[in-house]
Amino acid sequence: MILETQNLSKSFGTQEAVDNLSLEIPEGSVFGFLGPNGSGKSTTIRMMTDLIRPDAGEVFIQGKSVQKYHQKALSGVGAFIERADFYKHLSARTNLEMLARMDGNGFENIPIILERVGLSERAGDKVKNYSQGMRQRLGIAQALLSKPKLLILDEPTNGLDPQGMKEVRDLVRELSSEGITIFISSHLLDEVQKICSHVAIIHLGQLIISGKMDDLLTESEWFTTEIRVKPVKKAKTVLENQDWVHRCEEKHGALFINTTSEKLPEVTALLVQNECAVEAVIPKTSLEELFLSKTGMNEPQSHRDSEKK
Amino acid sequence: MPLCLRGKKLMFGLIHNELLKITGRWRSFIGFIGIGVLMPFILWGFSYGGGEIHDEYVRQLGDSFIVVGSIFNAFLATYIVMNAFWIHMPFLVALAAGDAVAAEGAAGTFRIILTRSTSRLKILFAKLFATWIYTTLLILFLAFMCLGVGTLWLGSGDLIVFDKGILILDQNEAWIRMALSFGLAILVMYVVATLCFMFSTMVNNGIGPIIGAIFLIVIGYIIMAIPLDMFEKMEPYIFVTYFDVWQQAFKEPIPWDRIAKSLGVLSLYTAGFIGISVAVFLRKDIKS
Repeated sequence: MILETQNLSKSFGTQEAVDNLSLEIPEGSVFGFLGPNGSGKSTTIRMMTDLIRPDAGEVFIQGKSVQKYHQKALSGVGAFIERADFYKHLSARTNLEMLARMDGNGFENIPIILERVGLSERAGDKVKNYSQGMRQRLGIAQALLSKPKLLILDEPTNGLDPQGMKEVRDLVRELSSEGITIFISSHLLDEVQKICSHVAIIHLGQLIISGKMDDLLTESEWFTTEIRVKPVKKAKTVLENQDWVHRCEEKHGALFINTTSEKLPEVTALLVQNECAVEAVIPKTSLEELFLSKTGMNEPQSHRDSEKK
Repeated sequence: MPLCLRGKKLMFGLIHNELLKITGRWRSFIGFIGIGVLMPFILWGFSYGGGEIHDEYVRQLGDSFIVVGSIFNAFLATYIVMNAFWIHMPFLVALAAGDAVAAEGAAGTFRIILTRSTSRLKILFAKLFATWIYTTLLILFLAFMCLGVGTLWLGSGDLIVFDKGILILDQNEAWIRMALSFGLAILVMYVVATLCFMFSTMVNNGIGPIIGAIFLIVIGYIIMAIPLDMFEKMEPYIFVTYFDVWQQAFKEPIPWDRIAKSLGVLSLYTAGFIGISVAVFLRKDIKS
C-alpha cells in the first residue's frame, strides 16, 4: 500500500469530524474518495498531508508515518487541497520557483509542468490576473512539481468548465498511466466513476464502503433495480416473499428492488410465471446509486434527519 | 551534495522565499516610506531652525569650551531623532512581523507550503530570520537617512550629549558610538519583531499580532511611567525596561555590564517568544 490510514480520528470541539477511519490505497491505483458535504473528507485529506494533527491514529505513506516523519513521508507526494491559493502578487512561474526551492530542487522541471497544464504562455502573469480555471491548473502544476509518486487531489475540478474538467480527467489518466498513484476526492460521481479504479465512501466521519470500483458496482445488492411491471401490487407481493430480495418498494407506478445482478433473470422469470407483464428491468448500477444508497441520501430528508438524531 | 550543505541551501532558499513574500506586500514598505519621507523633512527642519539650537548650545558651552565648527551636525540630529522616534519604531517593525505567519493562513497558502516535504520548524525559522532581516534593514535605513543623508545635509562634527552632565565625543568616537547604538537598537527591535511574530503564529490575520504586540509594549511603558512601589518592583522583569539599551552607547565610560544585563534579559524574552511560536506552530491545525 502506498498510503494507509490507521484508525484516524479527529474532533473539533464536540463535533467528531473523522471517526476511527482506516483506508488502504494500493500503489498504482486511482482512488476515489467520496462523501457528502461535511462527511470528513477534507479533514481526512488534511490529516494525510499533515495539515491537521489527528487526535488518534496515524497516516503512513510508503510505510512512513506522516505524523512522525513529515519530511520523509511527504517527499514523494504532491497535494492539491481544496482551493488553488497562491501568492497572488507573484507570477505563476515565481510561485512555482518558490515551491521548487522548498523542495530543494532546481527550476528545470517548471517549464515542462507549465506546458503540461497549459499555462506556458501566461506563466509570467501575476496569479491575481488568473481565472479560477487557470488557478486550478496551477494548483495541479504545483502538486506535480516534485515528481510525485502519490498525488492527492481534493476537488481538483472545482470551478472548471466542462472542457476544463475533461482536461483534468485526461491528465489524471495520463499520470496514472505513468505509474503515479492518485487519490482524488470529488463531488462529481460521474467523473470519479470514469477515472477511478478504487473507491471509498465516508459518511459522518466513518468509512461506509471501500474497494475496487468494478467489484462494488457488480455487487448489485447495493443497488436499486427498477422494474416496470403490471399489475404492480401483485408483482410486489411475489417479490417480497423472496429472501434474496433485500428491499421492494413501489414508487411512481414501478417497483424498486435491491438484489444481486445474478438474480435479475430469475426476477423476470418469476414475475412472468405469476402472470405479471414485465415491461422493463433497469439495473441502476451507477456510482451515484451506490453513493446515495450508502449515505442514505436517497431517503427522504425527514428520514435522514431522524437517523442523525 | 553533503546533507549539511543541502540543509543550508534549503534554508537559504526558504529565507529567499520569505523575503520575496515580504517585499511583495506593500505594507512592508510603510516603514521605509515613512522614514524616507519624514527624515528629509526633519533634517530640513533642523537646517532651517537649527541655528537657534546651535546658538543656544554655544551660549551654554561658550564660557567653558572653545567651540570649533558646527555643534549642530548629523550626529546630534541623529541622537535627537532616535530619542523622538524610538517609541514609534516598534509599530513599523510590527507591520511586517505581524504578517509573517498569519498572512499565509489568511491567504490559504499554508495548504501549498505545509504539504511539501519541508519541516514546519524550518519554515518557521525561515520566516523568523526573514523578519529579522527586514527589521535589520529598516533600522539600517533609519541610520542611513540620519547619518548618511544627515551628514550631507548638516555636515559632521563632534557629538555633544547632555546626560547628567556634558559628554563631548569627537567625530571618530561619535561614529563608533553611533554604530554601537544602532547595533543595540537592532537587537531591541528583534525582541519586538519576535513578540509580534509569536502572535502571528496564533491567528490568521495580520492586524491582530500588530495590536497584540503594541498593546504589550504600551502596557510596559505605562507600568514604567507610574511611580508606584509595586510597579517599580516589576520593572526589572519587564522587557520594555531594557528597550533604551541603545542609549548606553552614549555614556562615558560605556556601561558594558548594564548593556550585557539588558541584552541577557532581552535574549531570554526572545527565546521565550520563539519557544512559544514553535510550540504553537507545530501543533497548528490548518483548517482554512
